[in-house]
Amino acid sequence: MHYPEPISKLIDGFMKLPGIGPKTAVRLAFFVLEMKEDDVLDFGRSLVNAKRKLIYCSNCFHITDRDPCMICDDSSRDRTTICVVHDSKDVIAMEKMKEYRGLYHVLHGAISPVDGIGPEDIKIAELLKRLQDDTIQEIIMATDPNIEGEATAMYIARLLKPTGIKITRIAHGLPVGGDLEYADEVTLSKALEGRREL
Amino acid sequence: MYIEKLQLTHYRNYPSQTLSFENKVNVFLGENAQGKTNVMEAIYVLAMAKSHRTSRDKELIYWDKEYAKIEGEVEKRSGPVHLSLVISQKGKKARINSLEQRKLTNYIGTMNVVMFAPEDLNLVKGSPQVRRRFIDMEIGQVNPVYLYDLGQYQKILAQRNTLLRNMQPRASKENLVMLEILTAQLIEVAARLTEKRLNYMKSLNIWANPIHEGITRGNEQLEIQYKPTVNVCEGQDLTKMIEEYEQKFVKIKDREIERGTTLFGPHRDDLVFYVNGKDVQTYGSQGQQRTTALSLKLAEIELIHSEIGEYPILLLDDVLSELDDFRQSHLLNTIAGKVQTFVTTTSVDGIHHETLEKAATYRVNQGNAERIR
Repeated sequence: MHYPEPISKLIDGFMKLPGIGPKTAVRLAFFVLEMKEDDVLDFGRSLVNAKRKLIYCSNCFHITDRDPCMICDDSSRDRTTICVVHDSKDVIAMEKMKEYRGLYHVLHGAISPVDGIGPEDIKIAELLKRLQDDTIQEIIMATDPNIEGEATAMYIARLLKPTGIKITRIAHGLPVGGDLEYADEVTLSKALEGRREL
Repeated sequence: MYIEKLQLTHYRNYPSQTLSFENKVNVFLGENAQGKTNVMEAIYVLAMAKSHRTSRDKELIYWDKEYAKIEGEVEKRSGPVHLSLVISQKGKKARINSLEQRKLTNYIGTMNVVMFAPEDLNLVKGSPQVRRRFIDMEIGQVNPVYLYDLGQYQKILAQRNTLLRNMQPRASKENLVMLEILTAQLIEVAARLTEKRLNYMKSLNIWANPIHEGITRGNEQLEIQYKPTVNVCEGQDLTKMIEEYEQKFVKIKDREIERGTTLFGPHRDDLVFYVNGKDVQTYGSQGQQRTTALSLKLAEIELIHSEIGEYPILLLDDVLSELDDFRQSHLLNTIAGKVQTFVTTTSVDGIHHETLEKAATYRVNQGNAERIR
């Protein structure tokens, strides 16, 4: 069965979003037809604005509507520490914690030869440039705890070794507040590996 | 442990089938291409979440259907367990007592099976890949951390091989640094895998030799050796193994760059079988090779029993007729009364054994199985 062109284009648009398959796309598209026109216009404008008005911070590459971003511009923050993460969502997760007061650096990806992503394809050179002045004393590697994330962290650590800056890696293991019995075997074995003396 | 009930929905050529089993030998009789092996495969898939015959899960789904479902009631020493595995185009969903398991590594091993199929007779003379698969499947079902490590190893290996290929014709400085990092990652997992494989083969060896002696009426001594591509041995400290790997990878670095692929590691290791001191793969007769394969499978049953405290379920797919009378009765004597066993064969004529005469028998005909005795 053929949809009229305006709606088939809309379905197509929804299907480009992550986690949305053909059935959900059709459902969303038909829902839009039922929405009030003002709401639809608002929604459309938000989409365009998010794309047009948001830029990457020229310093840390976090998404922002002004340059430098709020975090880099905040003089009350600790300028001696940089936390290195994969993407902007990680910055937001870290910020929710409200414990970390340092700066960030968003790499926008992880090194993965299989996906054709080399060190030059992510913001590593930009990180090195930021380290040229002496204020930075510690780099916290908070890349994902998977193979690519670990490799990226190790790669950056290797590059920074000659600078003498302290490089740390976030810990992994059991989730806090969880019960030991519910942890899967692999997480448990990793947690056991990283045990510390009391 | 034993399966009490098996339910198939849209599985291979079974539109819908429910079967109840007893804790003894169950024989599936039928002409070729009726679906005998499919029942064996379904039990195997229920345990291992993948087929022993194919890596394409799509093939397991009945023609034209969206999904296939296998369910089983398994009676274990610790109590009954309900297992369910749904295979669809999107992937697999595994449930233990209706609780969905996010990671398949947590599901595999809940039910333990040992499969003996015609292709296993090739275990000795076949390619090294067959033997590595054998090791991985067996350790994997009693050790979920091993399965996880194996998955990690394959991912790192793929990254490393792609990088090595990218380094031709000339390697950039960045690539050389990245190679060092991927090598370090690979070694860490490789050493853990090798350690577990060496330990496993040592235990298997202890079980296999007396069994082999029994089958050969005391004429043959079997020894299994794990042959790593790097100079490590059983009982060695993990840090020592890591050092061995590190030295090896430094030494062969230029050759690896030239060839554009990873030349050493668990993905290249092999097993060697010696009968009376001679390598069976090269010098053994076909009969000796088959006997060795049979000894290995029987040893595996005992090893699983010693690891988890109960016997696994044995699947004998079309192999009974491949063995001579003496080996047949040795096999049937070994399993009698302790291992729930599923046997497929086109006919039981000519096999006279008490265990088979007491067995439950099912007739398989065009995607339908029915108990006849």
